Amino acid sequence: MAHSLAAVPDVMQPPPDREFGAGVYNEKVGMWIFLGSEVMFFTALIGSYIILRVAHPDAWAAPGKMLNIPVTAVNTFLLICSSVTMVKAFAAIQDGNQRLLLRWLIATVLIGASFVGVQIYEYTHLIEKGFIPSEGLYGSTFYTMTGFHGFHVTMGVLCMIYVTWKAFRRKYTAQDHRGVEVIGLYWHFVDLVWIILFTIVYLI
Amino acid sequence: MSVPSPAPAPAPVRHAHPNYVGIFVGLALLTGLELTVAFLPWPKRTLILMLVGLAVWKALLVALYFMHLRFERPRLRLLAVAPLPFTVILVVTVLMEHFGK
Amino acid sequence: MATSIPRTGQGGGMAFGGDAHAHHDDRTFLRKYIFSTDHKIIGIQFLLMSLLFLLLGGVLAMLMRWQLGFPGQPLPAGGGMLPETMAARGVILPEFYTSLVTMHGTFMVFFAIMPLLVGVFGNYLIPLKIGAPDMAFPRLNMASFWLAVPAGFLMLSGFFVEGGHAAAGWTSYAPLSANSEYSGVDMGQKIWCVSLIVLGLSSILGAVNYITTIIQLRAPGMHWFRLPLSIWSLFVTACLVLLAMPVLSGAIIMLLFDQTIGTHFFLPPKGGQPLLWQHLFWFFGHPEVYILILPAMGMASDIIANGSRKPIFGYTSMVLAIIAIGFLGWGVWGHHMFMSGMNPTLGTTFMISTLLISVPSAIKVFNWLGTMWEGNITFHVPMLHAIAFVSMFVIGGLSGVFMAAAPVDIYIHDTYFIVAHLHYVLFGGSLFAIFAAVTYWYPKMFGKLMSERWGKVHFWLTFVFYNCVFFPMHQLGLQGHMRRIYDPNQYEYLRHLQPLNTFISISAFCLFTAQIIFAVNFISSWFRGAPAGNNPWLDNGLEWTLPSPPPHGNFATVPTVYRGPYEYSSPLVEEDYLPQDRQLPPSPGAPRAPARPQPPLMPAPHPSSPTH
Repeated sequence: MAHSLAAVPDVMQPPPDREFGAGVYNEKVGMWIFLGSEVMFFTALIGSYIILRVAHPDAWAAPGKMLNIPVTAVNTFLLICSSVTMVKAFAAIQDGNQRLLLRWLIATVLIGASFVGVQIYEYTHLIEKGFIPSEGLYGSTFYTMTGFHGFHVTMGVLCMIYVTWKAFRRKYTAQDHRGVEVIGLYWHFVDLVWIILFTIVYLI
Repeated sequence: MSVPSPAPAPAPVRHAHPNYVGIFVGLALLTGLELTVAFLPWPKRTLILMLVGLAVWKALLVALYFMHLRFERPRLRLLAVAPLPFTVILVVTVLMEHFGK
Repeated sequence: MATSIPRTGQGGGMAFGGDAHAHHDDRTFLRKYIFSTDHKIIGIQFLLMSLLFLLLGGVLAMLMRWQLGFPGQPLPAGGGMLPETMAARGVILPEFYTSLVTMHGTFMVFFAIMPLLVGVFGNYLIPLKIGAPDMAFPRLNMASFWLAVPAGFLMLSGFFVEGGHAAAGWTSYAPLSANSEYSGVDMGQKIWCVSLIVLGLSSILGAVNYITTIIQLRAPGMHWFRLPLSIWSLFVTACLVLLAMPVLSGAIIMLLFDQTIGTHFFLPPKGGQPLLWQHLFWFFGHPEVYILILPAMGMASDIIANGSRKPIFGYTSMVLAIIAIGFLGWGVWGHHMFMSGMNPTLGTTFMISTLLISVPSAIKVFNWLGTMWEGNITFHVPMLHAIAFVSMFVIGGLSGVFMAAAPVDIYIHDTYFIVAHLHYVLFGGSLFAIFAAVTYWYPKMFGKLMSERWGKVHFWLTFVFYNCVFFPMHQLGLQGHMRRIYDPNQYEYLRHLQPLNTFISISAFCLFTAQIIFAVNFISSWFRGAPAGNNPWLDNGLEWTLPSPPPHGNFATVPTVYRGPYEYSSPLVEEDYLPQDRQLPPSPGAPRAPARPQPPLMPAPHPSSPTH
């Protein structure tokens, strides 16, 4: 056969011996497609919130009256930081730097976990104040949207721990770091959803 | 007889890392701006428009630079934005329930 | 042991998958048949699971038909075995009847038809027909199946809880479904929600797999417009699943929260909106019905072309029609809500979009007819079912046009006219296509042929009894007989319809009994069927170039595709079929290596009979 052993396929490219497809490796295509479904999931929750609020605006308090904006603003800042650490980790392994990859990944895990921690702290305070899911439309939508976002962050942190463990065992290289890119995409998406949520849940 | 193989994938465009710290600063500034705007004594609709605009701007920064959509092939960008029309259809149509009456 | 695809870098550019599996397969029984990552096994697992749920859905329907055909009569032969919560001394209770209606719809839509079309044939056909060794994510594929199983068990468990199973209709409208004081059902309704959330995840992960696989793993030469229509339809269907199911999941989560933690999404007292549930549900629900018909259309196309020994008429327009249906399907959901009290202007918009969407479906029907026209038709069992599919789908589609007109729907909404319509498209359409597809690909799956004779007996009995059951329902509906009703005789103006109801019920029992033939044929052929050989139907698809059943890893070497899948009766060869991967020697005087194979001319019907 005509294939030479020197032509080792680049795993960061689409599969060899196949039609061109999307032009990138399978796992990346798969993650973007999965994120498409996540967009629709949050559409259901956030869309319902918009619809319910437009029809019944007086069920909501003015911004800051019930929810703790300073604490959440810090939390927002934290999540954005974790996106930066994530993308720095990806840049590190693109350049083949294992030490930096590990450090940035650990930073992402820690910051991500802190975000969840702050959310739980916020929830306990709100519940003590009497703001619970059954309070009315405000409580119903608030807890459902932020709760499921928090659930997605938690899942992301768990996957990130797995990726960090793999990085610790030097499983990623400059030639093959698909797992890092793919978890990164998920993580940035979760950050993106929060950017929308923070604005329309807390500030409006 | 040799089997014709498909056209090899064109080599990816190697670009320098985007200025991630710069994007981060931008995001932080935009967040600060949002916090300011939210409490301005302007009509609610104006505030909503501005806040949503700022949020979309931040989201675009994350999508284009952190998720690298700025540098990806058009096919992948198409894949990424594909769900958005359906989001719009659902929310706009059901909102018309309220506004049409 | 390569279980995920593709693992590159093993042998430097060699045909992957092939070499690893040319050696002996040393997986354990558990890994090979139970926790398998092989798409073919997973497809068969879905097949067995779905057929069982199809049977259950049928049993539930028989119980309903007993009550409607013989109202107030105790169930014969074993009705006394039902607990007192379901049947008082063998007579079905109204509350149980409402549950039956709900669970018949739920099991049939979510656990029978959808997995039969998408889970079975999506899994089985996609890698084989595009020339891939397996799905893009085989372990994720396994997870999809093993998520569907607990979802199924959970849904079954609802029958055994206090208060009985869900009873708010398969559409689970709020606030009836959200407040157990209204429905009388508590745990059952919650179980319904949780089960579908789990199933939704299974479906979404499956869709990710199907879409990625079709985009990324097509063999060289398998351009988009050389894909079989079964694959095109599965691709668009997977896109619908991907984008619609999450909306249902979100809605069901909100419903579950209303039921459990006291939220107010759909409960009016504190500002919740019942119409919001309907909009969310049907925004999912309408793409869902296209999920339930598109793969059927795609597979019917493959089978009709094969049975007619002719290329599909208008392949490109077929593809565009599939895409159009997939896209337009997002804009019609309000036609399920004409009578809900929604904004009337919105109603008009939905009416227009709904009337529009009949056009691509009609194009497909004409193309099927055009395919058969002057074809050298073989009426094998799959072809019979496929032709029935087309004709029954036309009837169902036509009744759909009636109800698309909002003013007409005022009278027929929630009557048996709707029940007739939905069963014509779901049974007359989807289920006949499923019978066609199962019979057609059974030889590939199991290496044995199903009995042709008993297949024909099953077909004719099913076809006749099916029409006896569902055609009269149009009449019932037009006379004002409403859906989901336990006792129509409580209304004087419906009493004269009792004989018709009884006729339908008796036909239904005969229809159900006739399915025994299919079941026996399916099971006994597995053990005693004639060996199938590679290509019993003389089809052009890539799967028919492989042994039956194909080995783990499918293709020993990556196939190369030179043409589309519908080159039947081609003038280029003597046989009346021309497989996609068959390389033809260049004709003398022709250019040495044409840049692209030329599209074939429409051939005159081949006078010689197919060789066997």
